[in-house]
Amino acid sequence: MYVILGKERFNDFISRLSEMRRLFAPAVLKGYNNFAFEKVTSGKEIAIKYIPTILPPKKFFIPQRETLLEFNIAQGIDAEAVVEYEPMTIFGVHTCDLAGIQCLNMVFSERPKDYNYLTRGSKIVLIGLECNEYCDEYASCNLVNATFPCGGYDLFFTDLGDYFVIHVNTRSGDEIIKEIGSFEKVDTSHINELEKLREKKRKVFGNEVPIEGKHIPELFDRSFGASVWKDLEERCLACGNCTNVCPTCYCFDIRDEVELNLESGIRYRVWYSCQLEPFAKVAGGINFRKERSARQKHRYYRKFRYPVDRFTRFFCTGCGRCTRTCMAGISLKETLNDLIKESES
Amino acid sequence: MEKPKVAFFDFACCEGCQLQVANIGEGLLDVLGSIDVVEFREVMSEKWDKELDVAIIEGSITNPHAVERIKQIRERAKVLIAYGSCATIGGVNGMKNNFSFDDIRKYVYGDSYQFFPTEITKAVHQAVKVDYFVNGCPIYIPEFITVLKAVLQGIPYDVPDYPVCVECKLNENVCMYDREVTCLGTVTKAGCNSWCINNGNICYGCRGMVSNPNEKGAQDVLTKYKIPMDLVLNKMNMYNKCREIF
Repeated sequence: MYVILGKERFNDFISRLSEMRRLFAPAVLKGYNNFAFEKVTSGKEIAIKYIPTILPPKKFFIPQRETLLEFNIAQGIDAEAVVEYEPMTIFGVHTCDLAGIQCLNMVFSERPKDYNYLTRGSKIVLIGLECNEYCDEYASCNLVNATFPCGGYDLFFTDLGDYFVIHVNTRSGDEIIKEIGSFEKVDTSHINELEKLREKKRKVFGNEVPIEGKHIPELFDRSFGASVWKDLEERCLACGNCTNVCPTCYCFDIRDEVELNLESGIRYRVWYSCQLEPFAKVAGGINFRKERSARQKHRYYRKFRYPVDRFTRFFCTGCGRCTRTCMAGISLKETLNDLIKESES
Repeated sequence: MEKPKVAFFDFACCEGCQLQVANIGEGLLDVLGSIDVVEFREVMSEKWDKELDVAIIEGSITNPHAVERIKQIRERAKVLIAYGSCATIGGVNGMKNNFSFDDIRKYVYGDSYQFFPTEITKAVHQAVKVDYFVNGCPIYIPEFITVLKAVLQGIPYDVPDYPVCVECKLNENVCMYDREVTCLGTVTKAGCNSWCINNGNICYGCRGMVSNPNEKGAQDVLTKYKIPMDLVLNKMNMYNKCREIF
C-alpha cells in the first residue's frame, strides 16, 4: 500500500512522530559535510539530503556499551541476565543502511539467538528514505544491489518534489499512518512519477566496479595471496575507523566490571574491531593477525566472500563509509579494482 | 578483609593528577571505602614510612635524588601504579632532554646551578618496575577507577593499544583533519574516550604512542594533508620525548 504526504505537512508529521516514541534522524548539526543520526523533534532539524552518517544506524541496534548480566558475588554467585531496550523510531534510513540492518538481523538470529539484539530490534520502527541520486563518488551500492528498496523497513519515503510517496510495509507502519492521519490516498499519477524516478535511477546507478556481483566470490577465491594486501599493509594505520563505521561490522568484546566493594558488578559488551592490534592477541602474547595486511584482508573477506557461503549475500552495502573515513585513503572501490587487475594479469 | 594501605607520591609534575583524584566527587567516597590512604600530600598531613600495599606515583624521574627515592618507594610497595603522563611516558618534563643539561640548569637556577644536579628525564618504568599504568594529562578518572578495581582484584589492566580515533569515531566527532587541523589521535593510545576532541580540542598525544604505529603510513597521511614533518615531531615531543630512551 502507498500513501502521499504533502511537503507542507512534513514538519507536523515529524513533530507528531516524535511524540509517539523517541525519534532519531540524520541531523544537520555536524558541519564539514558530516551527518549523524540524532534525536529530533521537528522536521527542521532533519537533513533530507544527506550523505551516509558518521556511524550507521547499527548504533541503535548494538549499543556501544551494553549490559548483559548483573551479578552479586557477596555470598555465592547470584547472576541475572539483563536486556536493555527502548522503543524508538528512526527516520530517513537510506537503502544501504536498511541492507546493513538486514545483515545484522541475520547474524543475530543465528543460533544461539542473541535476545539482547532481537528484543531491542523488535522495538525499533524503521522509516526508509530513497536516494534519488548518488551521495558521492565513494558509494558502490549498485554493485551490491542496495540502490533500490528491498524490504527491511516499516515505512519507506520517496521524495517526489512537492510530496513524498510512502510505501507502507508493516503493521507498525500502518499504525503510524492511521494515528497521524496527515496522509492522502495515492493515485496512478503518483505511482507513475515514482516509476519515472526509478527508471531514471536505473540509468544513473551503474556498476561502480567493472565486475558483476556474481563473479566477486570467485575473484576473492583467486586473491588470497594477492599483492594488493601487502600494499594495504604499508598504508593502514590500524585505527579501526573502517569497521566502526561499517553498517555490518558487529564484532564485540565482553568484559566484567565489579564495583569497588568487590561484591557486585556487571558483564557488558563493547564494540571491537578486527583492525586493532590487540584484537587477535591471545594468551602468551601471540597475535594470529599481527600484520595490518592480514587484518585488512580479513575485513574484505568478511564483506565479500565468507558471508556469501553463510548467508548467501554480501556484507558490503555500498554505503562508502569505510572509504570516506579512511585517513590513509584506502578505498573499497580501488581495492576491488586492484584485485580485478591483479587477477587478470 | 583489611583495606589495602595506599600512598600517593609525586615527583616532577604539576600535581594536577592528584587534584583529579581529589576532585572525583561523590565517587571518592567509594574509593575511600575500599582503600586506606596513608599518605597523600595534597590532601592530608600524615606521612607513612612503612610497608605499602599500593604506591601511586605521579611525576617523572629527573635527578639522582628522585632515582634514589623511587627505588626506596618501590622496595616498600607490593604494587606500584604510575599515573599521569609524567609518570607513564615522561610527559612534558621530557622536553628537557632536547637541550644541554648545563644550559638548562643555568637557565633555571642561574649562577648556583651546580648545586642542582639533573639527569635525563625518565618515565617511572624507565627507573623501576611498574605494575599498572594510568596514562593521560591529566588522568581520566573513569580509567583511574577501573585500574584501582583491577588492583583490588589482583588482575592486570591493559592500556588500550589502539589509536584515539577508535573512541573519537564512536563519539561521532568530526575528524580534525576534515577541519584541516593536525591531531595526534591517529598514533596515540586510546582510553580517554577522546576527551579533548569531544570538547573541540585536538589530541596532543599525552597518553603515549601505540606500540606498533605505522610510521610510513602516518607519513603518507601527513603528505596527503600537506603537513610538514617537523611540525608533527614538535607536537609529538611535547609529551613523547622520553619514548627515545631504551
